[in-house]
Amino acid sequence: MKPYLIGLAVALVLAVAPFVLGGYETNVLMMMLFFVILAVGLDLVAGYCGQFSFATGAFYGLGAYTAAIMSRDLGSPIWLNLPAGAVVAGLFGLLLGIPALRLKGHFLAIVTIAFQTIVYLVISQWTSFTGGQVGVSLPNPAPLTAFGVTLVQLGSLRSYYWLTLAVAVICLLLAWRLAHSRLGSEWIAIRDDETLAAAVGIDTTRGKLTAFIASAALAGVAGVLTAHAMRGVTPDDFTIWISATVVAMMVLGGRGTFIGPILGAVFLVLMPEVLGRLAEYKMLIYGSLLVLAITLMPEGVIGRLRRRAAR
Amino acid sequence: MDLFLQYVANGVVTGSTYVLVAVGLTLIFGILGVVNFAHGEFYMIGGYVGIVAITMLKLPVLAAIAVVLLAAALVGLVAEAILHKPLKSRDATNSIISSFGLAVALQNAALLVMGPQPQRLNLDVSKIPVLSSLPTDFGPVFLPQQRTLIPLTMVILIGVLYAVLKYTWTGRSLRAMAQHATVARLCGVRVQSVAVVTFMVGSALAGIAGMLMSSIFFVYPVVGNMIALKAFTVVILGGMGNVAGAAVAGLLLGITESLTSAYVANSMRDVVGFVFVILVLLFRPQGLFGKAAERS
Amino acid sequence: MTLLSRRHILAAIGAGVAAPSLVRAQSSETLKIGGMLPFSGPASIEGRQIVQGLQFAVAEWNEKGGVLGRKIELVLEDDESNSTKGVTAVRRLIEREKVPFIIGTYASAVAIAASKVAAEYKVPMLSGGSTGAGATDQNTAGDPWFFRSWPDSNAQGDDTAKAIVNKFKKTKVAIIHDNTNYGVTLAEQVTRVVTGVGGQIVSKDGYNAGEQDFSSMLTRLRGLKPDAVYIGGWAGDGANILRQAAEIGLKAQFVGSGSMLSDDFIKLAGSASEGFAVATMFEASTPNPIGKAFAERWRKSHDFDANTFSALGYDSTNIAIEALRRAGKPDGLEVQKMLKDGMKDFPLVQGPAGTTAAFNEKGGVIFPNFIAVIKDGKRRLDV
Repeated sequence: MKPYLIGLAVALVLAVAPFVLGGYETNVLMMMLFFVILAVGLDLVAGYCGQFSFATGAFYGLGAYTAAIMSRDLGSPIWLNLPAGAVVAGLFGLLLGIPALRLKGHFLAIVTIAFQTIVYLVISQWTSFTGGQVGVSLPNPAPLTAFGVTLVQLGSLRSYYWLTLAVAVICLLLAWRLAHSRLGSEWIAIRDDETLAAAVGIDTTRGKLTAFIASAALAGVAGVLTAHAMRGVTPDDFTIWISATVVAMMVLGGRGTFIGPILGAVFLVLMPEVLGRLAEYKMLIYGSLLVLAITLMPEGVIGRLRRRAAR
Repeated sequence: MDLFLQYVANGVVTGSTYVLVAVGLTLIFGILGVVNFAHGEFYMIGGYVGIVAITMLKLPVLAAIAVVLLAAALVGLVAEAILHKPLKSRDATNSIISSFGLAVALQNAALLVMGPQPQRLNLDVSKIPVLSSLPTDFGPVFLPQQRTLIPLTMVILIGVLYAVLKYTWTGRSLRAMAQHATVARLCGVRVQSVAVVTFMVGSALAGIAGMLMSSIFFVYPVVGNMIALKAFTVVILGGMGNVAGAAVAGLLLGITESLTSAYVANSMRDVVGFVFVILVLLFRPQGLFGKAAERS
Repeated sequence: MTLLSRRHILAAIGAGVAAPSLVRAQSSETLKIGGMLPFSGPASIEGRQIVQGLQFAVAEWNEKGGVLGRKIELVLEDDESNSTKGVTAVRRLIEREKVPFIIGTYASAVAIAASKVAAEYKVPMLSGGSTGAGATDQNTAGDPWFFRSWPDSNAQGDDTAKAIVNKFKKTKVAIIHDNTNYGVTLAEQVTRVVTGVGGQIVSKDGYNAGEQDFSSMLTRLRGLKPDAVYIGGWAGDGANILRQAAEIGLKAQFVGSGSMLSDDFIKLAGSASEGFAVATMFEASTPNPIGKAFAERWRKSHDFDANTFSALGYDSTNIAIEALRRAGKPDGLEVQKMLKDGMKDFPLVQGPAGTTAAFNEKGGVIFPNFIAVIKDGKRRLDV
C-alpha cells in the first residue's frame, strides 16, 4: 500500500499548489503533468514490454488534433474528447504495433521514427483539415451548468490544472494496475525473452499490441488535455523532438521502474525553466547532459538506486 | 522529353547527396546496430568546415575537400567514442538516445559559433582543374559545374568504398561484422577498430556531401534535420543496413522527388518519400532490394 | 563577415540578453517591461535583429531619465517559436516580473496563443514582428489586447500585388509560397488582387519551409514564361529560390514578401538579387523625417544601418513606453486604454511621412508599404 499512500500525498500537495503558487508556476506544473502521462505511457510499451517507440509525439499530436478538430467541427466538450482522443490514438497505436510484430530493436526504432515523421507531415500539410502550420484555435468552453447554476467554469488555468491532475492520477492508477497485472507480467516476459515467452504459451502478438495500444492511448489523453488547456494546437508541438524528449525522460528516470519516468519528466520539464536565463546555452547543456547520463547511468536514476538497494 | 531529362538530372544531383549521407548511416546501422540521430549533423559540420576552409582560410578546392574529409573523419572518431564504444554491450535504445543528445548539442554549438543565419559556400569552379573544363550542357540537359561535381564525387567515393569493402581486409572485416558480429569476432576481426573505421567513413561521406551541397544550397545549424530524415527514408527503402540498396534508393528518391515537383505538385515532394516508406514497411519490410530474412 | 566579427556580434547579443538581469540585481527602482522573441529555433535570425530595436528604444528612454522617474529595464524571454513555450513565458513575465506590457512576438501562431493569455491578465502585447492578419483579427473589435503598429500581411500582399501590375506592368504572374500560414495567406492575397486588376496567375507552387532544392519546379516555371514571380516565405528560402532561378536562366521580375528585407538576404542571394522588389515599411533612406532621424541616431551606436526589423522593434517599444508615460502608472489596463485611442498623435519611424500610432479598432495601424527595389546590392526606394 505504501506507493499508493505516497502517490496520494503527492497528488494532494499538487492539488493545493495553485492556491499558493502563481499562474506561471501552475502552468509549468501542468506541462509537467502532461509529460508525466506521456513518459509513463511510453514506459508501458518500451520499459515493460521492451518494444522501443520513437512515436510518442505522434500519438500525443493525434490526441490533441482529435480534440481540436472535434471541438471545431462538432462543438464537442472536453469530457467527450478525452475518450475520443484516447481511442483515435489507441487505434493508430494498434496500426504501429503491427510492424512491431515482425521487427525488433533498432529496426523497430526506425519504423517508429518513420511513423512519427509521417504523422507530423500530415498534420502540418493537410491545411484544409488540420489548419496546416497555424493549427486549430479553440474558443473558451461554455461553463458546465445544471438547473441554470454554473457548476464549473472550465476555461481558467486552475480548472484545467485540476482536471489535468485528476486525469493524470487516473491514468497513473490505470497504468500501475496494468503494469502489475497478469498482462503486465506477460509484457515483462516478452521483453526479457520473447522466444521463451512464446514457448511457455504467452500470446506475444496480443502482448505487444496491447502494450502499443495502452501507450498510445495515454499519449492521446495527454494530447486532448494539452489541446484544451492551450486553447489550440500547432504542429510544432508534436515533432520528433517531443518523442525524443519523452524517451529521454523515461531513460533518465529508469526504464520499467514506473516511478523513474515520472521523476524524469519532472526533472526535464523543470530544468529549462530554471535555466531560463541561460537561453543561449540551455539546449547545449540539455544535449550534453543526455549524453553523459546515458553513458554513465544507462539504467536510470531509479534503476541505479534499486540495484544498489538489492545489493 | 527534353524537360523530362532535365528533371531526372536535377533528381540525380539531390539524390547523390542522399546517397552520400544514407550510405554512411546504413553502414553504421548495419554493422554496429547504432541508429545515429546525429548523422545530419555530420553533414552540417562538413558544410561549415568547407566554408571556413574556402571562404576564411582561402584554401584551394582540393585542399579544402581534404580538410573537410579529415575534420569529418575526426568528428566520426569522437562520435564513435561517445555513441558506440561505451554503449556497445547495451541495447540499441541507449545509442539512439545518446545520439539524439549529441545532435542537440552539436546543433546548438553550431548556433553559438556560426550564428543562426544561413551561409553559403562560394565555390569558384573555374579554379578546379578538371571540373572547369567540363561542359555545362549535356544535350538538352543543363547542369552548372557545381552541380555536376556532386554526382561525380558521389560516384568516385562510393566506387572507392565499394572497392574497399570488396577487396581489402578492412572491408572484409566490416562485411563480416555486418553479417554476424560474434562469428566475426571469433575469426579474429578487431571489433573496436572496425567500429572506429565505420564511423569515420560514415561521417566523412556525410561531411563531403554537406560541403558540396552548401555550394549550391545553404548551410545553417539545423540543416541536418531534414537531410537526416531523408537519409532514414533511403535507409528503409534500400533495406536497413544494405549499402548497395541505399545507393540505388537514394538516387531513386532524388529522381522521384524531382519528378513529383515537376509533374504533380512541389508541395508533395517531401510527402512522396514517406508514402513509399509506408508501402515498403507494409509489404516489404526488408526494403526494396533486401532478401526476406528474419530481422533481429 | 569574418569569424571574429561574428563572434563579436554574438557576444554582443549575449551581453544584451544577459544585461537586464544584471541591472535588476543592482537596483530595485527600475520599471520592468517585457520582451518575448524567438532567440533560438527557426526564427532566431529575425528575433535577434528585432530585439536590438527594443534595446535601442529602452536605451534612448533611459538616457532621457527613464519613465515616471524610474529607469526602464527590459526583461527578455525566449519563446523558441513554440506556442507552449510562449504561453509559459508570458505568464512568467507577467507574474514574476510584473511587466505592464509585453513586446512580442515574431511567429504569428505563437503571438495568437500568447496574447490570449496576456489579455486574461489585462496586459497588452505589441507585436514583435508578427504580421499575420490572424493575430489582430482575433481581437474583439474596439477592445484589442494585441497591437501591431504596421499593416497586416493582407495589406502587404495587397500593396505588393498592386505594384506588380501597376508599377512593374507585369500581368503573367507565377506564385511560389511556403506552407506556413504567412506564405499561404500572402499567396491568396496576391492571387486575388492580381486577378482582380486584370492580371493572370500562370502557376502556384507550395514548398515546405527549409526545403533546399527548387530546380525542377523552377525549370517547369521557365517553360510557362511568367513576367513576374512572387515569392512568399522566409528569407533563407527566398534567397535560395532566387539563386536557383538565376542558375537555370528563369528571367522575370521577382517580387518577395516582407521577410526578405534584410541585408543578409541580399548577401545570400548575391547577384541574383539585382532587380528584386520587396514591400517594406522602413528603410534607412526613408522619406519619413522621423524615420530618417531614427536611422541617423541608430547609425551612431551601431556599425550597420537600421532595417525594418530594428524599426518595428523600436516603434512597438517606443509607443508602449510613451503610452505608459501618458497613462501615468505602470498598469496594463491603463496602458491598453491609452494605446486604444490616446496615441493618435504619436509619430512612427515606419511608413511614409506623417504616420502615427493611430491603432484601429482591431489593434492595427494602416499605412501604405513602400516598394523597394534592389540595385547594386542595396534596397532603394527611388528605382
